[in-house]
Amino acid sequence: MSVFIENLSAGYGKKSVLNGINTAAKPGELIGLVGPNGSGKSCLLKTIAGLIIPDTGQVKIADQSVHDYAPRARARNIAWLAQDRSAAWALSVRELVSLGRAPYRGRLGKLSADDNRAVDRALVSAHCVDLRDRRFDHLSGGEQARVLLARALAVGAPLLLADEPTASLDPYFQISIMQSLRNEAQNNKIKGTNTVIASLHDLSLAKQFCDRIWVMSKGRLVANDKADIVLSDTILAEVFKIKSQNGQITRVQM
Amino acid sequence: MRIALLALFCVCAALLSLSLGALHIPFADLLPALFGRGDDIHITIMQDLRAPRTVLALFIGAGLGASGAALQGYTRNPLADPGILGFSATAAFGAVLALYFGQPNLVTPAALAGAGLGAGLLLAMAGRRQGATVLILAGVGIGALATSLTGLLMNFAPNPWALSEIVYWLMGSLRNASFDAAVLCGGLTFIGLVCLFLTGPDLRTLSLGEDTAKSLGVSLGRLRLLLVVGVALCVGAGVAVAGAIGFIGLFIPHILRSFFGADPAKIIPLSAVGGAGFLVLADSLTRVLSTSGTVLYLGILSALIGAPFFIWLAFKAGRS
Repeated sequence: MSVFIENLSAGYGKKSVLNGINTAAKPGELIGLVGPNGSGKSCLLKTIAGLIIPDTGQVKIADQSVHDYAPRARARNIAWLAQDRSAAWALSVRELVSLGRAPYRGRLGKLSADDNRAVDRALVSAHCVDLRDRRFDHLSGGEQARVLLARALAVGAPLLLADEPTASLDPYFQISIMQSLRNEAQNNKIKGTNTVIASLHDLSLAKQFCDRIWVMSKGRLVANDKADIVLSDTILAEVFKIKSQNGQITRVQM
Repeated sequence: MRIALLALFCVCAALLSLSLGALHIPFADLLPALFGRGDDIHITIMQDLRAPRTVLALFIGAGLGASGAALQGYTRNPLADPGILGFSATAAFGAVLALYFGQPNLVTPAALAGAGLGAGLLLAMAGRRQGATVLILAGVGIGALATSLTGLLMNFAPNPWALSEIVYWLMGSLRNASFDAAVLCGGLTFIGLVCLFLTGPDLRTLSLGEDTAKSLGVSLGRLRLLLVVGVALCVGAGVAVAGAIGFIGLFIPHILRSFFGADPAKIIPLSAVGGAGFLVLADSLTRVLSTSGTVLYLGILSALIGAPFFIWLAFKAGRS
């Protein structure tokens, strides 16, 4: 699904965070959203997801403003994976992944055969079939991250927004999550409909897996291109305060 | 199987409640008398005295149990209780106001008006756009204000009789159950229960936080409205008829979670059944334990059973 962001400014309440963002994502792309802490990555993802109403400008998906969608229609088109990995109750993995089908359920919340198939597919895509009968709160951090990704994939939405899906995970789970995101965009490249935007702190992961990188700094989008071009010595110095030579980090600026 | 056992517990408690009273009615005659067959005295006792009391206990228990489960689901906190939104306190204030002015006949409508006023104030203060924290803070504030106003009325009670009437009413009892009260309380609680049952699927989605629930199409405004109206009806109707009965909404969902899992959508109706069974049983116990001179109040007994059990649960959770 195509995403167009036009002159977007938004924030949390009266606190302005994003400032005049213009960009776009094409169907089939995996976009890596990078930037220092507090640069506005989460705010941008939440605004695209329709969770924050923009102060000015708009986000369009499939040529329609996100805020013009009815809540359930928007939920079927945009899957959002939160940074927070907590679940309030001791749900089983399958119960938790089934929450992804909420936009399709009736008033009584029953799952249809289609819903069950989508949940099964999501469990396979996120490599957590073996975990399905276990309690979510008994899993390791890495397993929980995969289960929550399965929850987001179960929505079956053409746009997936993932807010730091690899944060505080060991390399095995980081790569496993990135492969699932890559497959989500790649597989659907065949259908030509899906887009994934993931905020990341690990620049090497972003470089390895993403088609394009959006670099945020102080609420602005300062670069938008392929990883090799974007993660230049200049950007690393200006945005991340990292001194580097030919992509090799030498020291941080204090 | 476990659900069948819970339902059986509720039915047995109701039969026990129907069989208790000053006049002995043979067990085989209970149900025929309830449906108007057999001895006239038995029919009158069953239809006018015992059945309304049992029905009231069932509805009040169901309302309190479901309210507790729904509020715990909404706040994502197992310590939430129907009292947290302040409706028990505003309903009690309404009832005490009627007693203060020597109008015992107005206790029920005044308590209902109190619960309605509490719900209206809460929605006006916390609005439909705020999060759970603002709702709880506003509820606790409204409850504290209503409790202090109730204290003020007791402070300035016109005479010792009015004061003792207020104190006894606040202890909670179903002694004055009547057919009219059962119809009024049952009807309002039923509407409240429907509202609370409808919140189940959304509360399940809310397990992952407000933002994720919103991203999955949950309307938090609609959810809050259903929750506040449902809890106000259940708690308001219960307090209006039986006075302040606490703790059921806190510990019934807690116990049931260890048997049936934690899914809020399942725990709300199960807590209604469990709460109904528990309150009927507790009310039966108050009748068994009361002597001709001393009455054991339902609110006191339910807290006396509930609190130690809750302490034991907390202790067990701490050790595990």
